[in-house]
Amino acid sequence: MPTGLDNLRHIVVLMMENRSFDHMLGSLTAANPAIDGVTDQLGNPDTTGALVKPQPQAEFQGQLDPDPDHHFPAVDLQIFGGDTSANRVANMQGFVKSYFNQQRDVGHSQKIMYYFTQDQLPVLTTLALEFAVFNRWFASIPGPTICNRAFAHYGTSFGRVDMNPFNLIEPYKSIYTRLVMATPKHTAKVYYYDTASSTMEVVNLLQNQPELFSTYPQFLKDCAAGNLPDYSFVEPNYSDHDTDGGEEVANDQHPDHDVQAGELFIASVYNAIKANPDLWATTALLIVYDEHGGIYDHVVPPACTPDRFSASANVTGTGMPFAFDRLGVRVPAVLVSPWIPKGTVVNRTFDHASIPATITKFFLGNYANRSPREISADIFIEPLGPSGNAANNLLSLAAMRTDCPDFD
Amino acid sequence: MTVIHVPRPSKAAVNLDRPINALLLAQVQHLHEAEQALPHSYRSKTYIRAIKTEGEAAAYVREVTEAIHKAHADAVAARAKRALTQKRGFEIAASAAEPASKPQQNKAKKKTKDRTRPR
Repeated sequence: MPTGLDNLRHIVVLMMENRSFDHMLGSLTAANPAIDGVTDQLGNPDTTGALVKPQPQAEFQGQLDPDPDHHFPAVDLQIFGGDTSANRVANMQGFVKSYFNQQRDVGHSQKIMYYFTQDQLPVLTTLALEFAVFNRWFASIPGPTICNRAFAHYGTSFGRVDMNPFNLIEPYKSIYTRLVMATPKHTAKVYYYDTASSTMEVVNLLQNQPELFSTYPQFLKDCAAGNLPDYSFVEPNYSDHDTDGGEEVANDQHPDHDVQAGELFIASVYNAIKANPDLWATTALLIVYDEHGGIYDHVVPPACTPDRFSASANVTGTGMPFAFDRLGVRVPAVLVSPWIPKGTVVNRTFDHASIPATITKFFLGNYANRSPREISADIFIEPLGPSGNAANNLLSLAAMRTDCPDFD
Repeated sequence: MTVIHVPRPSKAAVNLDRPINALLLAQVQHLHEAEQALPHSYRSKTYIRAIKTEGEAAAYVREVTEAIHKAHADAVAARAKRALTQKRGFEIAASAAEPASKPQQNKAKKKTKDRTRPR
């Protein structure tokens, strides 16, 4: 039995906001050619027809204003370049055109191609180089936040491609409900930053099961005390707001929030786990982004198993129905554990349905009532025992690393 | 072990008057929907269409999130109180149904005529 998996007791998922893989990790191709990031061959046409190449000129704040459009019709343009024909082929050539639509400014529209240098993002890029980075983690649908986060909680968005409230449809239960209702019972928590930031999963989870929720300060206490549940989902701070202790800065990295604040938050989560040696040895942390935020990425999203739901042409806003049979744009995803060899690069395809798929298989084993998308999703942590695939095990080291970085 | 310094964002990064983004608007709408299921005493007095900034959105999000938690906590407390009241009621009923004390029993016994004794 692999020692890392044998020791694994806790899985933590931190889901950040609205940044694409190339935008955040594209610079790492220079440090590790196995990472599929930015090269000189890439580009998008602007509205004059000129080719705009990706440039390492991203800024922490104030650049992507207005917020790039990431709703379903805009993402369709970004992926298909404006082709709406029946036999169209995705070409990832519509990002600059899409951003131009928002301000009608050619120069400003080109900024959608900008990416961060490695030294601008010391936390995320270090973790990506030190642990496991996923070359092919995609948003679950080519659309916005709420429905993509739904895939992380339920393995489906119940046919939604927009930001409107939705009700869950039986028999699909959230990953949290599955865990706490299991025999033997498992534990799960959603840690939101504070009540002023709260959760994005309101209508189904917060409203009906508020006991599943706790705060980020409690997460820090639970890490220190060794009281983390089996599964934790951590949400960042979605807004600048006042508190009794002063002003809090948004750290979700959603444009136009400061990206450095998000780096600090990621470091805080990592440090909290690492500071408790028992927890560090028994925890795997997945840092992932919900969707690309309308920002450039060069990898064509693949087709996938259709969900049992579909969205009509009226709902998608593109004039075409959507069968949930292709994924959204690629996002940054990094798996952290002292049992992962340094410099691991994963090329298998994942999306957010992989999250409940992984948690379910690891803690519960067989579980019938799951969406077709979740059943077919790859998993990022192999279950214990003969059902696990040793070749896919990322926690493969025989002994824990002692060279993992700290963040100050 | 490498220690990597993480730069802090500038103080100018915070802007409570930043116009509300689409994500926060959606969150406000979701919370507004959830708020309609709360009893009136838990509801906010905020007109959500007047929320225009991040700071205003956060204030509403806090108020409704805390109200949802409080409504559930109050229901749990009421349930516990009812259970305790019911338990006490059972205990009282059980003690009232216990058999009468010994002196009362002897009195009842004395009333019975002893027909075994010769007259």
